[in-house]
Amino acid sequence: MFNLSNLVQKAQNLIDSNLPSPTLGSDRRPSKAALFRHQFRLPDGENPLHEIPAELTFSPETNRGTSGREGKPKSVDRFNGVYFAGRLHLSESYLSFSTQGSSFLSTASTSSSSAFTGQTHGAGPAGNGFTLPLCAIRKVERSHSQSFIFALSITTWNGVKIEKAAEATDGSPKRIVETPKLTIQLAGSRQQCERFCDGLKKGLREGIKDVENLRLVSTNCYSEYLLSLEPKKSKDTAASESRATTPPDAGLGMVFRYPGDARKLRDGAKMRLWAEYMRESGRHYTLVRQPKVHKLIRVGLPNRLRGEIWELTSGSLYLRLKNPNAYTETLAKFSGQESLAIDEIEKDLNRSLPEYPGFQSEEGIGRLRRVLTAYSWTNPEVGYCQAMNIVVAALLIYMSETQAFSLLSVLCDRLLPGYYSTTMYGTLLDQRVFESLVEKTMPVLWDHLVKSDVQLSVVSLPWFLSLYINSMPLIFAFRVLDMFFLEGPKVLFQVGLAILRQNGEELLDATDDGTFISILKTYFARLDESAHPTSTNERLRNVTRFQELIVVAFKEFAGITQHTISEQRAKYKDAVLDNIENFAKRTSIRNLGPDSKRLSASDLSFLYDRFYGILYERQQRKQMIEQEAARRKKAGLTKANEVVSGIAGNPAVEMGRVGLGPSPTQMDYDAFREFLAGITKWAVTDSPSSPMRETTEKHSYFGSIRSQSIPLSPWGSSPEPADHEFMQRLFRKWDTDSTAALSLQNVVTGIAHVKGTRDIMATISYFFELYDDDDDGKVDREGILRISEALLFLGRRGLEPSTSGLLSPNQLQSPSGANSARENGDEQFLSGVSAFIRRCFEYADPDLKSEETGDRAATTASEDALNSFSIGDDDEEDDKDEGNLLDLNEGKTSMDGNAPSINTLGTETPATSIAPSTTTTNNHPHARSDRSTSANLALDPSKPLHITLPTFRMLVLADETLEHFFDSAFANSFHLSTSPHPATPSALSSSRLTTFANAAHSSSGSGSGTPPRASPVPSTAGAPPQGVPPGKGLRGMLDNIVTDGMRVAAEVKRRVDEAQRELDRAGQVPPHEEEEDDEGEGEGGERDRELLEGAEATAVDAGGKEKEGPAGQGQGRDGVQNLMDAPVTEEPRSAGLAVEGEGKGRERSASLETKKSMMFER
Amino acid sequence: MANTAGAGNQPKPSSSVKLVLLGEAAVGKSSLVLRFVNNDFQENKEPTIGAAFLTQKCNLPNRTIKFEIWDTAGQERFASLAPMYYRNAQSALVVYDLTKPSSLTKAKHWVAELQRQASPGIVIALVGNKLDLTNPSSSTGDATSAISGEEDGAEGTGNVEEGDEADARKISTAEAKAYAEEESLLFFETSAKTGANVSEVFTAIANAIPETSLRGARGAASDAATQAALGGRRGDDSRVNLTGPRAEVGAKEGCAC
Repeated sequence: MFNLSNLVQKAQNLIDSNLPSPTLGSDRRPSKAALFRHQFRLPDGENPLHEIPAELTFSPETNRGTSGREGKPKSVDRFNGVYFAGRLHLSESYLSFSTQGSSFLSTASTSSSSAFTGQTHGAGPAGNGFTLPLCAIRKVERSHSQSFIFALSITTWNGVKIEKAAEATDGSPKRIVETPKLTIQLAGSRQQCERFCDGLKKGLREGIKDVENLRLVSTNCYSEYLLSLEPKKSKDTAASESRATTPPDAGLGMVFRYPGDARKLRDGAKMRLWAEYMRESGRHYTLVRQPKVHKLIRVGLPNRLRGEIWELTSGSLYLRLKNPNAYTETLAKFSGQESLAIDEIEKDLNRSLPEYPGFQSEEGIGRLRRVLTAYSWTNPEVGYCQAMNIVVAALLIYMSETQAFSLLSVLCDRLLPGYYSTTMYGTLLDQRVFESLVEKTMPVLWDHLVKSDVQLSVVSLPWFLSLYINSMPLIFAFRVLDMFFLEGPKVLFQVGLAILRQNGEELLDATDDGTFISILKTYFARLDESAHPTSTNERLRNVTRFQELIVVAFKEFAGITQHTISEQRAKYKDAVLDNIENFAKRTSIRNLGPDSKRLSASDLSFLYDRFYGILYERQQRKQMIEQEAARRKKAGLTKANEVVSGIAGNPAVEMGRVGLGPSPTQMDYDAFREFLAGITKWAVTDSPSSPMRETTEKHSYFGSIRSQSIPLSPWGSSPEPADHEFMQRLFRKWDTDSTAALSLQNVVTGIAHVKGTRDIMATISYFFELYDDDDDGKVDREGILRISEALLFLGRRGLEPSTSGLLSPNQLQSPSGANSARENGDEQFLSGVSAFIRRCFEYADPDLKSEETGDRAATTASEDALNSFSIGDDDEEDDKDEGNLLDLNEGKTSMDGNAPSINTLGTETPATSIAPSTTTTNNHPHARSDRSTSANLALDPSKPLHITLPTFRMLVLADETLEHFFDSAFANSFHLSTSPHPATPSALSSSRLTTFANAAHSSSGSGSGTPPRASPVPSTAGAPPQGVPPGKGLRGMLDNIVTDGMRVAAEVKRRVDEAQRELDRAGQVPPHEEEEDDEGEGEGGERDRELLEGAEATAVDAGGKEKEGPAGQGQGRDGVQNLMDAPVTEEPRSAGLAVEGEGKGRERSASLETKKSMMFER
Repeated sequence: MANTAGAGNQPKPSSSVKLVLLGEAAVGKSSLVLRFVNNDFQENKEPTIGAAFLTQKCNLPNRTIKFEIWDTAGQERFASLAPMYYRNAQSALVVYDLTKPSSLTKAKHWVAELQRQASPGIVIALVGNKLDLTNPSSSTGDATSAISGEEDGAEGTGNVEEGDEADARKISTAEAKAYAEEESLLFFETSAKTGANVSEVFTAIANAIPETSLRGARGAASDAATQAALGGRRGDDSRVNLTGPRAEVGAKEGCAC
């Protein structure tokens, strides 16, 4: 066996020296700190602080007896002791030395390690040297030997207890178990050396506080016990009694026997060799890695030391030093709690290595349960994955629960990153890597596999996932594990390739999965048989198939290094993640529920991408911002596991990607805003707080190249979303489970309700319900104002054209046509909204007295409804539409028996005083209503009022633009897959806003004959071009009108202000008023300004009308008058009615009542 | 229970059928396979990692079907591996646990996945396992009056344990059956522990596989000719009525296992 491993070593050395020095792809270069940590298996948080070339002289026991304690001339030691050249590294709490060139140093030459091997390239404690926790160093002395050489002599706490005991009982220096002493010659400049020593001094002082931890952990190391046995044998005196302790827990194997025949495994011999080695070279923390240690591991570890050596080589021992009680603390902390992972664990407890006696007992099951549970708590993202039970069960045969727990952490976090995650991307990725390696190393076999349509990963996936434990007989799987923990994941690949190589001939005959699998099954079952049963050479005959497999793995596939693996992983990572994500998407979309059927597949796909894209980018930004903050404090905040594995070059950028595992699935309100901003125009804020980019960044969610320069604004490069009350309502409405967060399901259902039904009635009801806070079918004054405000908010960037709507396709196609048409549309919408507000208050029902007046109102309203039905719009289709819609109303309104109108109560309000005064002419000469506003209760704060859904519906349908809005524009404003994202810079710039301010501006512009918005003005970062602050709204507009020289307007303004003050005093809308005079940037302020209520809001209309008509003073005047004339948009319609042609106010108001009551009747 | 009457002494045509088992973790997928392949049952079966592969022959009167069974891991996170296994599968067993409602939901997801992603024409059987945990009368009692006589026939073949313990059934036969009919799935309730109905499932699948989609097994002589000859007689196989009475089918033709 030894000969064999010698052979392996030699072969390996040969090959290793020919390997190119590792250079990692610049794109995903792991951080230096990560490589460093991985090379020495140090826990997170260790960073290379100092490094210096050094020579290690190590005096084994044989030497020490004769040599003085210190200061033996180096030249002598060089020949008598062991001598290594390498580099010495100092980190926060470790002093590490390795002959293996560190991958991260450009100056690291392979030559320094050529004498001894290890080819893990920064992925394991290869090479010779040590990894000393500073707290394990008892003494550092500077040798005085030669003045120009800086030499440190290091004494460790190694076996301190035993030493004392031995000294106490035994005077003979020969048998004293002494600590090996390390002498290190620093080979840097004097300055370098001084600096290093200063750092070391500091670290040593810090390390003192960890000594207790060290003692705690090390007393439970089996090696400590093992070495204590030796003096006992020689001196069976009192000392042995004082140490008559039970051996530390070395796994279930101590009770239930270790797998395999100990004699056949030559366990005793291995144990003796290890004891010998450890006496010379230190134990656990203080072990010095010499070439022999690699050999000792290659031949297989002895049962009782296996656990400890695994811990040491994997680095979990160091993890434990940091927090020795992590395991028990975790268990205690979560004791009694339940989780999905625990349920899953429970299912598998009885099925983990069930043939092993230890796991047929409650003892073994209990350990397994506790370790798996504890880990699932510490890493809830992984939780529990099947196969972990098998791996942990295997570990528990050789180690205590505490050891298994920390080793499992190292496994999942570092050695097998992503293997057990919820998407298992690590497993899938490594399968892909394995396939590519097979293709590279065994092209003939690969071609055959492809030709026969055999999927390799079907066979190999379990190998990797359970570390060969349930593929090979246990004793062999453990041998693989021995090497795996020392040399890292590449061992799994090497062994896998060797398995295929060994069975190459037979596999080439297999043409389907089944045969393929059975060949390998047979092979695994016969691993213990002779590889050359017919050979005449006895030694050759004694070589088992497993030994041969290992030789092939490490000799023939020596070229497979950690570097190779990292490179390949980086190469396939994106493809694998994309696959997983596509699968997840498919599954997710399919399970979205019945509402999702209302949307097209491409819409769903779009929503899915958008939803997770937002979450992903938000998380990414958060991470980057956090990281930026952290970097300012301290550099190098990266996770070793992802870096070294090549899974993630920049972990921050990768976080949250669906394929990587659990990612957020819930959208909070801010994310929702961002989501809306991406699919609608109206959800983009008018006053960005951060400079907006001219171009929106390409959606990088599924892109393979990720932008590294994401600005550190909270919204990244995407347009900053607005924050409007409407969005909050929408959020709450969609949040059906009241979790204050939306799932994809919520969003899809929400969108499906808005967009899926192209039914104007449904949309109107939907909108109404949004504002019907208490579900009583009524929306009060506040609600009315909010609705209007929301309509303005939604319409401020213009409405979406619809095929049957206001804009013809031709207009859409030519930009200028579209623009002007759009402007018209926008203004119509503004006027529509203003009219809507007016009418709302006109037709609102007072909360009181409704019963009494019901009947009367009903009758009058019915007349009005008739009128309105026939009220002419020149557009016949519209008429028809309206008729139909009214018909549709029938059922509902008739049920609404006590929703009467009271608009003739006629309390004098400020508004009513305005209205008559402005009742003059109009664009439509017929339309008149001087008394319509007498019923306007809007401005009478003392009268609580509300509108009902039928009223709301009627008011919406009374206006063409609103009708259009609810019919299609609202639904169309959500841009899904069918139409590209509308948020082009020009569309988003506030110059395009359809606000009162802009309307006013445009009206003045058109007055001078130049349509200022005919060509989109590029973004001027939030400020409208003509000096009307975006938030100034109505006030700004009125100012404009005034400067146009309209005296009437001044008068109007005064009155409006009066009305406003009236309102203020009444305190009906106090929160709005308070903010009224803010400089206009705050969302709230803007909203409130827009809200400037019924009377004022009609000003919009002025802008609209004015622009349509011929320019000039007169027209302006008209506009202003319109402004004050409440039922502006209603007028044209009623105007068409011959009977009402004279425009008598009374008649008109009566007709409106009639209309209303008619609706009730129906 | 092999019924080879129809075959006489002539070598029957033989073909392989790829079958994949899907379903939530610990519903008994592997146990069903173990029962079918080895007529054995293990109380504590190791969870399947990735997938296990087994084969078993099923003798029909006029042909032999060699099932290549892919038994997949059930844990949710293994789901993304499933496409690797159901690729090219001609049949699928979607298994749920009669005593666990969530498992039927998962089963429905699998059915949806298969119907959209697997080979077209895949024969899917919905199987409620762990019948041994239910009270024999429960399927009629709690589940519903809507169970037809034919359904009872199927139940009857399962030698349900006489349990004093409370009935653990959570999913009524009618509910699952209604779903199966809606989706045109074969439907069975089985017990891998007692063996109830297990071979019937596989036989029914074997019968439901359209002749046309069979690929000849390796080494089967004159496959094409034989199948062509058989084609006339069993041509309607491709249009097997999946919702028809299957209990009879199961009783008439059995597997050689």
